[in-house]
Amino acid sequence: MELDELKEKWAEHDKKLDQSIRLNRQLMRETYTRRAKAALWRLAAILALGSIALLVVIVSLGAFVAKNWPAARFVWPAIALDVAAIAALAALNAQIGMALKIDYNQPIAAIQKRLESLRMFRVRYIQAILVTSALLWTPMFIVAMKAFFGADVYRLFGTAWIVANVAFGCAVLALGIWLSRKYRPGAGYNLDAASGFLVTLAEFEQDASYSAQERSSMRAYSPEE
Amino acid sequence: MAATETLQERFQTLVEEHKKILYKVCYSYCKNPGDREDLAQEIIVQLWRSFAAFDERVRFSTWMYRIALNVAISFYRRESVRSRHVVSGDERLLEAVDESQNQPEEVQVLYQWIERLDPLNKALALLYLDGNNYQEMAAVLGISETNVATKISRLKQTLRQEAEAKQNGTR
Repeated sequence: MELDELKEKWAEHDKKLDQSIRLNRQLMRETYTRRAKAALWRLAAILALGSIALLVVIVSLGAFVAKNWPAARFVWPAIALDVAAIAALAALNAQIGMALKIDYNQPIAAIQKRLESLRMFRVRYIQAILVTSALLWTPMFIVAMKAFFGADVYRLFGTAWIVANVAFGCAVLALGIWLSRKYRPGAGYNLDAASGFLVTLAEFEQDASYSAQERSSMRAYSPEE
Repeated sequence: MAATETLQERFQTLVEEHKKILYKVCYSYCKNPGDREDLAQEIIVQLWRSFAAFDERVRFSTWMYRIALNVAISFYRRESVRSRHVVSGDERLLEAVDESQNQPEEVQVLYQWIERLDPLNKALALLYLDGNNYQEMAAVLGISETNVATKISRLKQTLRQEAEAKQNGTR
């Protein structure tokens, strides 16, 4: 069985396809008008809701810092949270920007590389949120208690309790990093699979050298002939 | 409004004329009919999104192949991770009449062979079988013509070896 013999059979199959397949024009029109709009709306909604929520957090934390300045025990936790929120906002916008820039009318190797990089970025973003939330819950608690109830967590629970929680957060962070490397991340996509496919893509792009057998096979047939 | 109508009409006509590409790509990348329908719809959406920027100097089939294969590879990688098998409603975008009867054994063998290839080589095999020359294949895949030639040669070799192994096994 040779590929070129099968190519002839494929050409026959191709001719028959004209009669044997039918494209539902009505459904096609509905698909590209409805689904294309829905996908754009979804993306816009994620961007708008995510950005608004994070902006509210950033501004509120800024106000909290200004109000409690120069009390370092309240200001530093709020600054840490603010930095995390700014980073999350930047990463969210970067993801959406990358997604919008993908033009499928580009060569396969280039687009697949971009898509895979975007997937890896998304996985790392979710991982980062999950693992840092363990560490950030203590400053979040300190700030929330002060902002909403005027309570001083340092006095209520003591510095030892706070230090223990930060240490616990660090331990969870380390465990989270280890687990995310070992098992599938929350995004439902394996980071190893993404990096593995990037390696496959790089290999696919690389100019392979011919073996003697390949050279003779190429001489025997070329589609341009 | 009228301009959109005209654009839609033109798009529909061109896709209708090249519906075989849609069928072959979907059939090669998805075993499950529900997934095939989903993929066909995703391809249509991406084709429509890119249609406004379609460059008339490029052959429509080359342009369509590029988008369809990009969507299919991305879909295939996503679906094989999720192993999702959603069956759509009764109405299908792409319907094949007497699908199995119209496919001779050799074509079924070919589809089975394509199915075993990795997503990138699937694209290469499809382009080759459809009679694209090395230059066109290189443009769609984003690799050099020399690389295309080497990879085609390897595909031929793999197929030959598989056939020989099968023959030896049945003896």
